[in-house]
Amino acid sequence: MSYFSLILKNPFRNKTRTSLAIIGIAIGIATIVALGLITGGLKASTETTLKEGGAEITVLQNNSGQFMNGRIDKDRVSEIKEIDGVKDTAGIVRAQVEVPGVDFPFPITGIEVEKLILANVDQVNGTRFSNGSDNEIIIGKTASQTLNKGIGDTVVLFGKDFKITGIFETGSFIQDAGAYMSLDTLQNLTSREGEVSMIYVKINEDANITQVSQSIEDAYPNELTTTTAMAQASRINTGLSAIDTATWAISLLAIIIGGIGVINTMIMSVYERTREIGVLKAVGWKGRRILGMILGEAIVLTLIAGIVGSIMGIIAVEVLLSISPTTSFIEPVFSLDIFIRAFGIAFLVGIIGGLYPAYRASKLAPTEALRYE
Amino acid sequence: MNNENIIEIKNLKKSYDHGKIKALNGIDLNIRKGEFVSIMGPSGSGKSTLLNMIGALDKADEGYIKVAGIDLIKTGDLSEFRSKEIGFVFQLHNLIPNLTVLENVQIPMYEGSYSNKEMDERAKELLKSVGLLEKIDQKPTKLSGGERQRVAIARALVNKPSIILADEPTGSLDSKTGDVILGILRDLHKKENVTLVMVTHESYVAEMAERKIKVRDGKIA
Ligand SMILES: Nc1ncnc2c1ncn2[C@@H]1O[C@H](COP(=O)(O)OP(=O)(O)OP(=O)(O)O)[C@@H](O)[C@H]1O
Ligand SMILES: [Mg+2]
Repeated sequence: MSYFSLILKNPFRNKTRTSLAIIGIAIGIATIVALGLITGGLKASTETTLKEGGAEITVLQNNSGQFMNGRIDKDRVSEIKEIDGVKDTAGIVRAQVEVPGVDFPFPITGIEVEKLILANVDQVNGTRFSNGSDNEIIIGKTASQTLNKGIGDTVVLFGKDFKITGIFETGSFIQDAGAYMSLDTLQNLTSREGEVSMIYVKINEDANITQVSQSIEDAYPNELTTTTAMAQASRINTGLSAIDTATWAISLLAIIIGGIGVINTMIMSVYERTREIGVLKAVGWKGRRILGMILGEAIVLTLIAGIVGSIMGIIAVEVLLSISPTTSFIEPVFSLDIFIRAFGIAFLVGIIGGLYPAYRASKLAPTEALRYE
Repeated sequence: MNNENIIEIKNLKKSYDHGKIKALNGIDLNIRKGEFVSIMGPSGSGKSTLLNMIGALDKADEGYIKVAGIDLIKTGDLSEFRSKEIGFVFQLHNLIPNLTVLENVQIPMYEGSYSNKEMDERAKELLKSVGLLEKIDQKPTKLSGGERQRVAIARALVNKPSIILADEPTGSLDSKTGDVILGILRDLHKKENVTLVMVTHESYVAEMAERKIKVRDGKIA
């Protein structure tokens, strides 16, 4: 039998104690993996909102108290297009409706079909709706999963049948959970003829986002305000970096708690095997080999915890996302980084926790150890 | 038999508990290569301590001790010495419970440069010689006391040591099983010409040796 298999065998001598230690460390690892998967998903999503072709500026009603659902005169859409540096504009109407079988308000946006690109909707499977059509709709990929409907299926909105002509994917979890239809139709259905909720503004390539934003606000003081995709993304990024910091803090905590758990487990194990370690010394084992054995056992323990914890983390995220409707559109991102971090931490915990017990074992006086009852 | 001393001890002293207990109080002893020596003496007289000194399990406080050409007081790391020159047989077998009989015998071989195949062959050869070839895959807990002690002897021999140190090897066995163990040790000494130093409480066991030594109050009596 090789030295390596000997090391693999030893941690399983006291199955209860080993399992408890593994579970303790695995919970820490699972938390790190779960947070990593979710932040990764959110990051990927905000990155796609900065896609090329999309609008850089969003015009909102000032002081409406309704962030995404203001009442802006639809004439402003064509007026703003004339402002210096503006390439194109799109007025949109937003609504949220109850859909049977879906337990959260379903977000619908009305837009002219040729302006979909400004909303980052550039990839559509099937066909788009036609302007003015009162029975055609395209829905996002996530929405298609939650509604369990595909191209050609019918969905009932505002008491009317809508035929799903296409399914789009933008990569933004918020957009992909919603739907788009003709602007006129949604205006009619929500009795908002002549007004829009907000305006998307696409600027010329050589124009400056800040300058154009300022021009728009100056043209309609007290009436309109602007926000940029970048500003939104940076707000989300601030939130994400807070989660990142929390993840590191939890990692550190996991290292400390896990390390103490490993120290405890390995000291108990060394203590119980005092006599045996005396025998190993008596037959000529060097201190280094004994140190390596105990340290190796600690690392075996924590690497198993790394595997168990990673699986637990993945399951936890999948379960959480599937039972909670408000998060169901987050797609966890399985990046290698997360698992490298998880196993790095597991390994570190093994070294930190195993070093002291291993050192103690290697320094045991053989005669004392052999006298030990 | 040659006259070369494999063990040379002069005025060896060892005390415990900050000098309160004088376990060895000036031992003078020479043992020749291939000799079979028995050590007797009352409980607490220092027999195990003496054996531990010869096997380099502990360091003496004073005196001189040279075993197989190595000065045990001056040499720092003695693990290689223990691995190559010494085979210990304790009163209790001290086998590792989660390992099989074969794996237990291989334990001393990790410090040597053996291949897995060599480790298997060597350990099997020794287990065969102590009559346990059919039990190599058993755990020690499944064995009788005598069988365990036979495994311990195989383990002591696996690195071909020049000296076997046996501390009451039959002390925890009934006399019939004990006799089997003694037979194995005596055969070993005769056939392989290893030096055998054995501590015992039984005078009939001591009688088997070529030389009988008595220890009293940490001295050779
Ligand atoms: N590690 C130790 N710490 C303290 N005292 C010790 C230690 N080892 C031995 N002693 C003491 O040294 C003395 C000699 O002990 P030793 O074990 O050599 O006796 P022994 O002759 O082998 O006795 P027994 O026949 O009972 O095995 C005893 O008084 C013992 O208590
Ligand atoms: Mg003794």
